[in-house]
Amino acid sequence: MEERAEDLEPGITSEGTSEESRHQHKEVKPWYSGGLKDWIFTTDHKKIGILYFFTSFIFFLLAGMMGMLIRYELTNPGIQLPSIAGQEGADLYNYLLTGHGTLMLLWWAVAVWTGAFGNFLIPLMIGAKDVAFPRLNAFSYWVFLGASVMVLLTAIPGNWIKMLWTAYPPFASNPNAGPVAYYSIIILLYGIAATAGSVNFVATIISMRTKGLSFRKMNLFTHTILGANLIQLFGVPSFLGAVTLLFLDRYIGTNFFNPEIGGDPLLYQNIFWFYSHPAVYVMMLPAFGIYSEVIATMSRKPIFGYVSMVLAIYLIALIGFLVWAHHMFAAGIPDWARVLFSYTTILVGVPTGIKIFNWLATMYKGAIRLTAPMLFVLGGLFMFLIGGLTGVLLSMVSANLGLTDSMFVVGHFHYVLGMSVTFAALAGILYWFPKVTGKMYNEKLGVWSFIFAFIGSNIFYFFQTFSGTLGISRRYADYPNILEWVLINQIQTFGSVLLFVGIVLFLINIIVSLRSGQKAPKNPWHSPSLEWSATDTPVMSNNFKKDHIEIHKDWHPYAYYKGYHEHF
Amino acid sequence: MNQDLISSILDLISKMVFPFLGTTEIIAQPRAYWDNSYTIWLIFSIIFFVGILLVGIYIVIRYRYVKGKNEEGAHIEGNTALEVVWIAIPTILALFLATLSFANFMYQRTLPADALEVKITAFMWGWEIEYPNGKVVSTYFNTEKPFEKDDSEKFYLPVGKKIKVLLSSRDVIHSFYVQPAMITEDAVPGRITYMWFQINKEGEYYAFCREYCGSWHSYMIAVLKVVSEEEFNKWLEQK
Repeated sequence: MEERAEDLEPGITSEGTSEESRHQHKEVKPWYSGGLKDWIFTTDHKKIGILYFFTSFIFFLLAGMMGMLIRYELTNPGIQLPSIAGQEGADLYNYLLTGHGTLMLLWWAVAVWTGAFGNFLIPLMIGAKDVAFPRLNAFSYWVFLGASVMVLLTAIPGNWIKMLWTAYPPFASNPNAGPVAYYSIIILLYGIAATAGSVNFVATIISMRTKGLSFRKMNLFTHTILGANLIQLFGVPSFLGAVTLLFLDRYIGTNFFNPEIGGDPLLYQNIFWFYSHPAVYVMMLPAFGIYSEVIATMSRKPIFGYVSMVLAIYLIALIGFLVWAHHMFAAGIPDWARVLFSYTTILVGVPTGIKIFNWLATMYKGAIRLTAPMLFVLGGLFMFLIGGLTGVLLSMVSANLGLTDSMFVVGHFHYVLGMSVTFAALAGILYWFPKVTGKMYNEKLGVWSFIFAFIGSNIFYFFQTFSGTLGISRRYADYPNILEWVLINQIQTFGSVLLFVGIVLFLINIIVSLRSGQKAPKNPWHSPSLEWSATDTPVMSNNFKKDHIEIHKDWHPYAYYKGYHEHF
Repeated sequence: MNQDLISSILDLISKMVFPFLGTTEIIAQPRAYWDNSYTIWLIFSIIFFVGILLVGIYIVIRYRYVKGKNEEGAHIEGNTALEVVWIAIPTILALFLATLSFANFMYQRTLPADALEVKITAFMWGWEIEYPNGKVVSTYFNTEKPFEKDDSEKFYLPVGKKIKVLLSSRDVIHSFYVQPAMITEDAVPGRITYMWFQINKEGEYYAFCREYCGSWHSYMIAVLKVVSEEEFNKWLEQK
């Protein structure tokens, strides 16, 4: 192992002398060195980040395969999926919908940020040796893995959970919904992991910034992770509460949600969406963070209006908690509540508008390098713009009454949470690939995977979004044989195949670059941000050479203009 | 690709994106209020989207990296006046759209006085309708012919008459969506919710269930048979 470390960074081991050098010699191994035992018992934020990344990416691929099976079912009218173990093909479809939704949202769009990207990058960006509670961090990963293994066991036919990730009662108390207890335990484990993680990140970012790194000098990605984890901290308990009450209703005989004995099923929806709506900002905010990082770096410009970008992040996190009832516009809540929530929802457009304009202004008069991460970010912004504008329509209560639970909603959130988040994650993977592995990704494969994914997803989700205006409802295993409806579904499937090819090319890119990528320079993007400028590539296991890194008083993570100092 | 496929895709796009075009008569209410919200949103969105897209494409092409010529970005950290402008414009637009939506919503939700009142009850997986004179018609899912209904299962309704619906459910939450009228309301067990609609043209229309309710959710449809008032009254008297 030590030879490997010297191969990669020959200069470092020669630093220092005698006792001190022996001490340091042990610590300057690259972060990924160490055997299986080391990986299992690790408390290193970088290793835990990568464990999170692999788990989350595998579930992304699995959920993607479920999505392809859903497309297979919908390509033609009729039920195509086979009946398994006495359960109808329609039941398999409902199981796939539940799995696709739960995994894509919780295992991919939330976990990839707070678990993978947050863990690996946040201590590096704020100049810390590790997170505030390293053992809690390891604990949260292994609990998360436990939940993940339980998810895999739901594939056994008798274990199919068929009530969608929302699990609305009283349907959740119906035998047709599948094993509710099993679902509750998965979500509780997930929630324990998420809460432990959010406590850790909030503490780390607030208390472990290196000297001189004020909130006004923090990377926007760090701000978005802080915002996202504050949402988790306040929101997840509400979600866990809803699921626990559901469990008690079903098995202990309490009557929180059961209307037959005086409960109220809409109470569940209120508690559930109080978390689950802000949760979309847990997915979206770090994506915004990545957009900011990549746009500033690739345009060689400081972020335009840094302060308003930061304020917009916390404003979005705050407004996120005031809009949950827009998921219930047609659920029989009072009319005044619908109007009130329509107003608050539509106001979310303001801070997101600020961010879009500021990104454009950041690119203005820049020197824009159209590398693969930048293409993914521009593609993601394009998708976000459509997703945001369709969101405006859905937030208008009068339009919502005609479109709620239609394919328009599905298309809308696939533009935002599907592609905008995924493109940001893929951009982030390529952007920090050299930092993690010490090798460069393959630019050509990166660009081709972007082209396929961008064209495919736009064909797919454009037609999906507007198929709702024709009257096609969501969550349907089958639909009437209307020529338009069949055609529109077949176009979507064509798009989904292109998207699938794009994701496969991306995967090939990662594997090829890991095996035979070019050796990366220390700071391939010439970025003053701490994770690039103050650490080696790949990072050594002690993160920074000194215990306390010092930053110059003029240092800023986005000081990209001509004549900036690379080595603050 | 053959001509037919292209023209049918173009036809499809115009029907999806501009659903309010093509029909001069409004065949159902309160569809007009939905159309109104949708149209104004569409105009606003297209302007906003195309504007940002063009500016974005221009910036990316004009300021792309060129070795030796354009290697470093300018030093611009912000512009307060510009930011105030583009915070103010979306705020005003958002409040305008929300208020417009509020006005339309009032029409969609205000019950008309001279309406025919029916009670519709949902269950897994079917619907039951009760008319003012006590006549009850039920419709169930049928996996053999999922989207066809026998005449005895169709919900007869008089043409051009406002229908007031009191909704409830016997088991889980369902949702009643009258497709031509673009209006939805959930049927919640233990509660009575309401909606109204009116169909102005004779014919058969679908009403779908829109809240997920298990295995045969997609087969939980009701066929609304809209007939002339005389025919409806004759049908209503039959036992």
